[in-house]
Amino acid sequence: MALTALDIYKLLPKTNCGECGQPTCLAFAMQLASGKASIDLCPPASVEAKEKLSAAAAPPLPKVTVGTGEREVVLGDETVLFRHEKTFYHPTAIAVSASDDLPDAGFASRLAAIRRLSFERVGQRISVDLVALRCGSGDADRYARAAAAALDATGLPLVLLAPAGPLAAAVRAVAPSRPLLAPPPEDLVPGAKLAAENTLPLRVRARGIDGLSVALSAARAAGAASLVVDPSPVTPREAVDFATNLRRLAILSRNRDLAYPSAFDLGGFPDPFLAAALLVPKYGSLLVLDSADPAELLPLLTLRQNLFTDPQRPIQVEPGVYPIGAPNESSPVLVTTNFSLTYFTVRGDAEAAKVPAHLLISDCEGMSVLTAWAAGRFTGESISKMLAECGIERTVTHRTLVLPGMVARLSGRIEELSGWRVLVGPQESSALPSYLRRLPPGAFLPVHG
Amino acid sequence: MSVVLPIPVFPGRILAVTLPAGPGGTPVTVGGQNALPLLPEGEHPNAPAVGMEVRTGPQELPPALSGAIGPFAGDPAGMARKCAGDWGARFLFLSLAGCHPDAGGQSVSEGAAVVREVLSATPAPVIVGGCGDEEVDARLFPAVAEAAHRPVFLSYAEEKNYRLVAGAALAYGHGVVSWSPIDINMAKQMNLLLADLGFPPDRVVIDPLTGGLGYGMEYTYSIVERIRLAGLSGDAALARPVLCHLGDAWKAREATDASEASWGDVVARGQRWEETTGLACLAAGADLLVCRHPASVARLSGAAWR
Amino acid sequence: MKHSSNSSNEAGSVRFLPDGVDVPLVIEESLLSHALRGGVPLLSPCGGESRCGKCRVLVDGETRGGGDPGVLTRAEIAAGIRLACRCFPSPENVSVTILPESRPARLAAYLDGKDLAGDEPFLPLSRTASGGNPLGVALDLGTSTLAGALVDLSNGTVLSRATADNPQMACGEDLISRVVFAEETPGGFDLLRGRLLSGADDLVRRLLETSPVPGEVTDVVAAGNTVLSHFLYGISPSPIRRPPYRPVRKEYPPVTGETLGSGPATARAQWRIFPSLGGFVGGDVVAGILASGMHRQEEVSLLFDVGTNGEVVLGNRDWRIACSSSAGPAFEGGEVGCGMRAYPGAIESVRIDPETAAVEWTVIGRGRPGGLCGSGILDLCAELFRAGIVDRAGRFTPGAGAGRRSTERGDGFIVVPREMSATGRDVAFCEPDLKSVLRTKAALCAAAEALLRAVGLPREAVAHVYVAGGFGNFLDLRSALTIGLFPPIPLSRFAPLGNASLAGALGALRNRRRWKEALSLASGTLYHDLSSDPGFMELYQRALFLPHTDEESYRFVLEGEVSR
Repeated sequence: MALTALDIYKLLPKTNCGECGQPTCLAFAMQLASGKASIDLCPPASVEAKEKLSAAAAPPLPKVTVGTGEREVVLGDETVLFRHEKTFYHPTAIAVSASDDLPDAGFASRLAAIRRLSFERVGQRISVDLVALRCGSGDADRYARAAAAALDATGLPLVLLAPAGPLAAAVRAVAPSRPLLAPPPEDLVPGAKLAAENTLPLRVRARGIDGLSVALSAARAAGAASLVVDPSPVTPREAVDFATNLRRLAILSRNRDLAYPSAFDLGGFPDPFLAAALLVPKYGSLLVLDSADPAELLPLLTLRQNLFTDPQRPIQVEPGVYPIGAPNESSPVLVTTNFSLTYFTVRGDAEAAKVPAHLLISDCEGMSVLTAWAAGRFTGESISKMLAECGIERTVTHRTLVLPGMVARLSGRIEELSGWRVLVGPQESSALPSYLRRLPPGAFLPVHG
Repeated sequence: MSVVLPIPVFPGRILAVTLPAGPGGTPVTVGGQNALPLLPEGEHPNAPAVGMEVRTGPQELPPALSGAIGPFAGDPAGMARKCAGDWGARFLFLSLAGCHPDAGGQSVSEGAAVVREVLSATPAPVIVGGCGDEEVDARLFPAVAEAAHRPVFLSYAEEKNYRLVAGAALAYGHGVVSWSPIDINMAKQMNLLLADLGFPPDRVVIDPLTGGLGYGMEYTYSIVERIRLAGLSGDAALARPVLCHLGDAWKAREATDASEASWGDVVARGQRWEETTGLACLAAGADLLVCRHPASVARLSGAAWR
Repeated sequence: MKHSSNSSNEAGSVRFLPDGVDVPLVIEESLLSHALRGGVPLLSPCGGESRCGKCRVLVDGETRGGGDPGVLTRAEIAAGIRLACRCFPSPENVSVTILPESRPARLAAYLDGKDLAGDEPFLPLSRTASGGNPLGVALDLGTSTLAGALVDLSNGTVLSRATADNPQMACGEDLISRVVFAEETPGGFDLLRGRLLSGADDLVRRLLETSPVPGEVTDVVAAGNTVLSHFLYGISPSPIRRPPYRPVRKEYPPVTGETLGSGPATARAQWRIFPSLGGFVGGDVVAGILASGMHRQEEVSLLFDVGTNGEVVLGNRDWRIACSSSAGPAFEGGEVGCGMRAYPGAIESVRIDPETAAVEWTVIGRGRPGGLCGSGILDLCAELFRAGIVDRAGRFTPGAGAGRRSTERGDGFIVVPREMSATGRDVAFCEPDLKSVLRTKAALCAAAEALLRAVGLPREAVAHVYVAGGFGNFLDLRSALTIGLFPPIPLSRFAPLGNASLAGALGALRNRRRWKEALSLASGTLYHDLSSDPGFMELYQRALFLPHTDEESYRFVLEGEVSR
């Protein structure tokens, strides 16, 4: 079990000396407990405390990197079983395969298709991370050339799925790009030696967790250190089971011998899409897919983008103008913040009023109205800016805004800055229905001149 | 030597809830498990069940749906027969969207008549959803509760209307879907409020509000996972089956927009979008899935192991 | 609000009744501004921000605005009732009657505080060579109330005690409103500072007037929240309201009253201001810790300061962590339609017969009730819940019980019918009031849970719970736990402290070791900022239920202890 802040506090000098940069030892203990600081920052700490705390702080699932530079892919280095406990840090890496036995033109167009598996979503680029190069030819030279070509054409790190001979040839060609070596189980030992000699990451594949336990010993004996494991499941269900228990062994049992990121080659799987969609949430660190169909990759990459976000961020609603009912140019304009509960409440109450309206959702980083106001995120300035920029001035002919009663104090500033007239709405959203129904029809007449 | 796996043992068990069927139909029982989803550990007496939505009122169908269910527009009974008969839906979610004033405003009695019609057309278990307009639903639910000649579930009861919906359900022996907006505490609060009314716990399923893929899916994912963990850990008010309605998946531009060629075929993509949303829900612990595309029924049922 | 200098020459004046004060008329100033200018007492909890609807006046003459339909009923508007903050005079003479409920009254309670740290030897801070008998003043500078005690520094005897409204109230009930007022009103900072200093001076003069022993004040020890301490010390509190919510300073080196600009009564005295812990946990809380003695025990304690804001401290002699709950002023009578402070005429306790919904109440002082103070509101909520009139979500159950009426402010429960009330209006507790109480109690309870979670301690580990604040003296703990104001901890572990801030200041005045302790407490107590605690909103949502979403724990705590 993780140590609590008080457990850690008891190991500290309790002098509040401040050398760590924190105001008190308790503050430092809280930082340590949440993994935001290291015991090294506390020079007066006892040897015993340092030993205990650095052991507790080591990541239960080691980090393995594939590729270099901007395209480096990080696998593992996770600390929890469920994302709500903290967060999942390193998104499931997705590799799409290409086989070296394709004719040259076909190979090139396959690589081009893989490169195109990159999409812009909500301001982020989501892309396939690696090319998995299958050795269909059995020819070492051809495989090595294909590896160089794949690297050249896509710039993506490679997963080299090949027997020992072609694998060694490819390593000679592309070793500086730090590919992941993925020999078949029968070539484990030569593959592991190759990985050790070139300090490259190695995928160890064996049947089941018991099989991995044996194969990993062999790989380590051959000198390979940076390892990922494929328990070679035969069904999606088995894949979820293996991935879950590998993660549990790392995090719950702290079993160092089996604590490695998991990798699944879904080529030849009965239903690779289904397995992939389940392994993204359920502990797959690397997935190899044969499909390069954007209709499949876009949903998978989106699922990954969703789940590998920080769950402790408040739930936010996209800022913008939301219609309540079917509003027109003379419907009331309401404004509130983008904290999801605020939005749901206001929206529900406004709908209950049966008065069509425009609801402006202002970007307040997911804070409620009063919190956002107190923090200076929901201000006369920010609301005036939104009025000017969100397009509502083209949608409605009037210039009258209904402001949440709790921030009535902003009305003067808004009127001054935006030229809109402000009506102070009720303090409680629950009073919106009666408020909106009581508003005189003349309140939203067009402005002239 | 074989590796010892740290398989967790939970003190709690999810309450088994049955969606009743009509004569000759197969009821759907979900819940009853004492372990996390999709894993061979613990007991899973019931597999998650996949149902389909049958909707009244006009609707604009995206390309992926128009080919599949377009022919049944305006024929809820026919659609219900098709879903349960040919497409493998184990239950139906009858959404009376047509009663919404903005959707043509079928009258409450027309809505109730549709319920009777669908219940006669198929013996499959049915969940009846309101139209989403507070005032109309306040009249609609009692009317539906009275009109339904066999037990159904009413969807949904929330903090604002739970007395009315649960009262109507209690009076005629129906169940309710207990709804809250992506918040584990509100989900529990709803169930406690229902318990205070004396509502039988084995006639309640939780709807935590399902965000579509790309649009809030992650919140739903973690809320469902937490509800399940809390239930298994002994929190009785949360030890209930969870229903995820995948309808929001079809609100995503990625599921419906044919103009982006680089996104691939819009029909395949739309279907995958709903399927992916559903698979994530299953991974989190959902027991009941409501989908709109017939292909999703088979795909998700295939993934819904016991 | 616009300010201009050239319009003040308009003819006419605003006459405030019943005081009979005439204030020169400025056409662009609200009636509230006129009242402020003329020193006419008028309640304005929100600081003239048109939020609270409490600055009701009856106007006679031409005015513009202030007839807000969202706040006032049509009948009230027709009768000439206006909100002073939104109402502006016309160039003619205007007569303005301040309605009884909008007039601040003199305060009765909020004086006593317990000092649990035990009797200490008398060891005064300093002996200034002065002609007369040296006297010391302990001050508690509260957001709404100032309280003081006068001590004979030759022997430690308390000579007199007094309280007064904080005169800053007219510029905003809550601290943030005052910081905004200081920022946005020209001269606002000086006005607020001046009001605090003169309020303190008035209080000290009253202490001296009522003291049996004459003498000269040589030492003042003041405990106040961080915003007030900043105002007092003459530094801008603005940074406190913006991320990262840090005060300009946390320690206030001793100064003479003359340097500080205090009134003549304390001009020659040495002023010591309790250090602050953070932007929203101030010296009043440090003084509270001092009075509770939690900093000397091995066992872990929780300290709640339930005032206009709510602060919570968790810890023991080795470590302490404190936060501000951002709880609203519902228990000071704010944000609740029928709420008022603990003045005469306030209902302080309530019982409801679950069968008949008949209400029994007790009132502070004699006379007809005009509203409910904090302990009355707490009781009322607990009783409404126990009687099944309110459900766990804080909604009135439909059709349940007598005493229910639909009001302008939604469904309401009539606590006192108009024919029995002091105001001639129903004292009605409405759904928004319930929600406001629910939010306040949720914020306070969640703050305590957040501290426990931050250090990783189960609530069973809490051996003592101290409840400070004037309200703490009167609250019914069973009512408090019935609605979940505090975490579910057995009642036997609770101890009310009353005005612990004043008690702590008094302790420090009478024993200089205690003052040193206070200084070290400040640096040894961690300030926890809830706004950057990612788990707080969830704990808050959990507590936003009656008694709490974790109802099992409350049932366990209340079983046997609260069975009516």
